[in-house]
Amino acid sequence: MHAIEVENLSKTFQVRIKEKGMRGSIGALLHPQIRQIKAVDQVSFAVEEGEMLAFIGPNGAGKSTTIKMLTGILCPDGGSVRVRGLDPVKRRKQLAYQIGTVFGQKEQLWTHLTPYDNFRFFGAIYDIPDRETEERIGELAERFALEAFINTPVRNLSLGQRIRCEIVASLIHKPGVLFLDEPTIGLDPVVKENIRGLIRQMNREYHTTILLTSHDVGDIEKLCRRIIIMNAGQIVLDDSMEHLKQYYLSGERREQERNGEIQVHGSHARLHRHEDAESVDSSSMSLEDIIMEIYRAEGRTEVI
Amino acid sequence: MSTAVKNQVRVCLLSVKYNIMREMVNPVTFVTNILFMMLNNATILVQWFILFRLRGEIGGYTMKDVMLLWGLTASSFGLSKVLFARVFSLSELIISGKLDSYLVQPKNVCLSVLTSATSTASIGDFLYGLVLMAFSGFSVGRLVLFLLFTVTGTVIFVAFTLLLGSLSFWFVRAEMAGGQMVSGMISFMTYPDGIFRGISRFLLYFLIPVGMAVWQPVHIMAAFSGIADNGMGVGAAGQSLQSGLAALLTVAGYAIALMSFAVFVFYRGLRRYASSSLMEARM
Repeated sequence: MHAIEVENLSKTFQVRIKEKGMRGSIGALLHPQIRQIKAVDQVSFAVEEGEMLAFIGPNGAGKSTTIKMLTGILCPDGGSVRVRGLDPVKRRKQLAYQIGTVFGQKEQLWTHLTPYDNFRFFGAIYDIPDRETEERIGELAERFALEAFINTPVRNLSLGQRIRCEIVASLIHKPGVLFLDEPTIGLDPVVKENIRGLIRQMNREYHTTILLTSHDVGDIEKLCRRIIIMNAGQIVLDDSMEHLKQYYLSGERREQERNGEIQVHGSHARLHRHEDAESVDSSSMSLEDIIMEIYRAEGRTEVI
Repeated sequence: MSTAVKNQVRVCLLSVKYNIMREMVNPVTFVTNILFMMLNNATILVQWFILFRLRGEIGGYTMKDVMLLWGLTASSFGLSKVLFARVFSLSELIISGKLDSYLVQPKNVCLSVLTSATSTASIGDFLYGLVLMAFSGFSVGRLVLFLLFTVTGTVIFVAFTLLLGSLSFWFVRAEMAGGQMVSGMISFMTYPDGIFRGISRFLLYFLIPVGMAVWQPVHIMAAFSGIADNGMGVGAAGQSLQSGLAALLTVAGYAIALMSFAVFVFYRGLRRYASSSLMEARM
């Protein structure tokens, strides 16, 4: 069974638009205009149990919206989602016991409480008996080296310490699937590497399926064996990391095909929705360059 | 009680406990907040003392009736803000997409959101209500009724606020109208119902649920305790015990019905929830 199965997933947001200035505001009041924005458009993919998948794309590509639909935060407009065989909308509560989430930009921990109290609270949320929660906290605190600050209020922790605690909080209930949305945002290189090590360890020891979104190429390169790139609400690339590197970094000039599936040495790599044939000189490209190139090939001229 | 309900209650109580723990970091501030809240409420009663010196009865209420009315309002409002303070900022949570962390937890989203904040100063409101009730005529029976109506008043007040807050799922800036309605409800709760007639009285029973939150309970308490016979007005003199009991069940039924409707609207709206990418912290 796949850990995640997504088929033709779509989500459209309605955004009010108005002309500039007071006149625009009055006009919008009398004649409100609404623009439909397709945040996610017919996206399909599957993730195996125990897989570590990088889910990336430029800002506004639709990756966070996709993750929010996978976790039951947002209701899809179309398509189907199964996470560990459960529909996130209809079986939100049951699914919550099986997934963990870390949103680097959104704290889930209570800042005035210590990590220990937070973990106890999360234990209660997941209906874990107190003794079991204690054991789990002890185990994770040791593994993630939290002992030095487990009784310090979260608001007094450094960003790196806080992220470690966020990850531990998301693991209290031993989730099978972990969604990490930019977990290393704002961290220094040493702490980043530390967090990456912990994520790798988690995947290896608990066989946790990990879906990681990040703008940090280091996270992607060092953690994931497979990469999905989204742009403008669609998947533009779904490939193994190994093949992506081999393909682009081999020093050869390769031609990207128009509208097609690229077959290179029998690989399953797929580059979706290419409208302009172009050549890429990849002789001296880093993975970051490659990703930027793919973003640009899909019409994104400015990569943030 | 099923295990799921027990676990939900456990999490809600833990949430309230942690919120109170936060406020108790500074015990002096904690206690003075509560005391000043009580003092602040007490100053408002002064105007009623002056009015009742000029006139023995206002809208069918005596001074003791007004004290009971104020007591019930203060206790209901206080308990709402101690247990469900987040309902008063629900619109802001919806508009700025701050419901994510509740949606990924295996718990009732509505209850988890509502109990995620506590106003400890409102413990002062709750205690002040009890003090006023005692001054308006203490008996064990009245205390039991008072606590019961504090619960129904809290349910009605929270349900009404939840209902208005949930409109933010559909309408931009709905929180402004909602905030005005809630403020209006609090204000009207502190006036005798006898001064309202016709359409305004109708609206205060059926649009803004002031009638069921405090006015009916005050009438029922008078009927049950027989205080009306001892000179308290409230228009309760004609009520029998049976009609008082029926009215009590009506208030309880109304509270349940309004809360059910508010929760239904919240979950309908939740389907439209759009989240956000704003940076945020759980405070």
